[in-house]
Amino acid sequence: MTQPTGVIHDIGYRHYDGVRLSRGYAATALALHSLRGAFGLGRPARSKIIPFLVAATMLLPAVVSIAVMALLKQQPLPYTGLAVTMQAVLAVFLAAQSPYLVAPDLRFRVLPLYLSRPVTVLDYVGAKFVALTVALFLLMAVPLTLIYIGELLVELETPVHHGDYLAAMGGSLIFAVLLASIGLALASFTPRRGLGVASVIAFYMFTLAASAVFFGVLLSEGLDNAAKWSILINPFFLVDAVQVNLFGTDPSNGEGYPPGFGPAAIALAVIALALSALFLRYRKAAAS
Amino acid sequence: MTILATEGLTKRFPRVTALDQLTVAAGTGVTGLVGANGAGKSTLIKILLGLLPASAGRASVLGMDSAVQGLEIRRIVGYMPEHECLPPDVSATEFVVHMAQMSGLPRTAARERAADTLRHVGLHEERYRPIGGYSTGMKQRVKLAQALVHDPKVVFLDEPTNGLDPQGRDEMLALIRRIGSEFGISVLVTSHLLGELERICDHVIVIDGGRLLRSSAIGELTQVTQAVSVEVEEGWELLAGHLTEAGEAVAVEGRLITVQVRADETFDVLRDALCDLDLNLVRLEQRHGRIEDVFK
Repeated sequence: MTQPTGVIHDIGYRHYDGVRLSRGYAATALALHSLRGAFGLGRPARSKIIPFLVAATMLLPAVVSIAVMALLKQQPLPYTGLAVTMQAVLAVFLAAQSPYLVAPDLRFRVLPLYLSRPVTVLDYVGAKFVALTVALFLLMAVPLTLIYIGELLVELETPVHHGDYLAAMGGSLIFAVLLASIGLALASFTPRRGLGVASVIAFYMFTLAASAVFFGVLLSEGLDNAAKWSILINPFFLVDAVQVNLFGTDPSNGEGYPPGFGPAAIALAVIALALSALFLRYRKAAAS
Repeated sequence: MTILATEGLTKRFPRVTALDQLTVAAGTGVTGLVGANGAGKSTLIKILLGLLPASAGRASVLGMDSAVQGLEIRRIVGYMPEHECLPPDVSATEFVVHMAQMSGLPRTAARERAADTLRHVGLHEERYRPIGGYSTGMKQRVKLAQALVHDPKVVFLDEPTNGLDPQGRDEMLALIRRIGSEFGISVLVTSHLLGELERICDHVIVIDGGRLLRSSAIGELTQVTQAVSVEVEEGWELLAGHLTEAGEAVAVEGRLITVQVRADETFDVLRDALCDLDLNLVRLEQRHGRIEDVFK
């Protein structure tokens, strides 16, 4: 007969008397949790497929760029053109991942649990928005930075494009903010993830087609100025226009954009509209 | 110590008045909030948490005004909603850790507290599996764990026994009793079933149509009456007859015989009668008043 070697003590219930951190901590933790979720981290393998594929695809131009720089001693892709060139990939990421950030909490009614804690609607929406913005920014900033490091290491005959790199990083932030606000606003209106994915991708397709059609028709009618405005219907060209006017970079659409603060004002209005819709949506969800 | 109090609390929705001039107070321990579906129980909890503004009147929790100090209240109060509220694709551990962080607990403390709390509610190895595969009973335990993980001073449990089978119901009620006594956390628990609350509550508030019907200590509601109930397998007619012959006051409800206790001899008479008739005794207990009587 063996003697028991260990004893399990029932120590009963223990109270917690450690620190209770501020609202800011909770919001940061939520943002971090959502950011990890946006890339499928901490979730089943199935959820990692799309974000990982997208991230890998976004790195492709960087790899090609570095290879071309090393072998042919010339720069194939300007920094500031990355987002517009890769817009379909970014749109797929936005469509696939923005519903993940908002839909399950609505569908499975987890939202009341957040709101029964020291977390307000604004904290919640803010955390989700920051998470998606950072995720999108990383998708653009990481390849840009890799190309930049490549350019620094490979000795090209042309001087290093410090200015273009910084402008592209600034532009990426504007891209991320605008896309995240539109994606979340569209996705938050349905608790079904599939519908959310469909609505975001449909929105992108619509703007893509509408801007191309208007641009073509107006250009053939000789209305060059109106054509330049109409191309801004596509959010990617809208932000590119802001980037061109703000940082003086080369336009990626080949034709140029309307000058001045017009595009920037439109971009700000779109962001404000999307974020207000998002906030109002959640205030309504919180009351029910 | 007053845990929660309301004063003339009224909540009107466009179509319905959920709470009507409700004035109640509850102290430490387990307080039951009883009412039919739609009596205003969930609305009261939301107003107390500061999630819903009142139309008129005031509400407070632990001396803090719900209308203006909602954040402070929600920091030290736990809430278990009536509806399902769990994401299916994460494990119970991950979910409860996350919810602890949302209450402001640092990550390491959140991990420790989540493990402790899940053990207390009776979730063991299964807590590492995704919640989507859990039974209703296990989901209710996770919901309870997330309400307790930040060690609140008070928890609001909205219909915690909903959807549970009789055994799960008993376990949940025993757990709530422990939270109130052993854990030292005051509990406000709602139910539309009166019988289950009388087993675990120190105090009961009964509301109907948003109005207060009664608020009193459980002892007053279920005072011990001078009667015993007897249930036997067969031959209850014989027993009733025998006792009546012996001069006892006997009432028969179905198979249950209620005997008024005149003095201690009544118990002797009852024992002898059972032995003489050679009956199989199923149950012998003191009769309590029931909270159902409030509604009669």
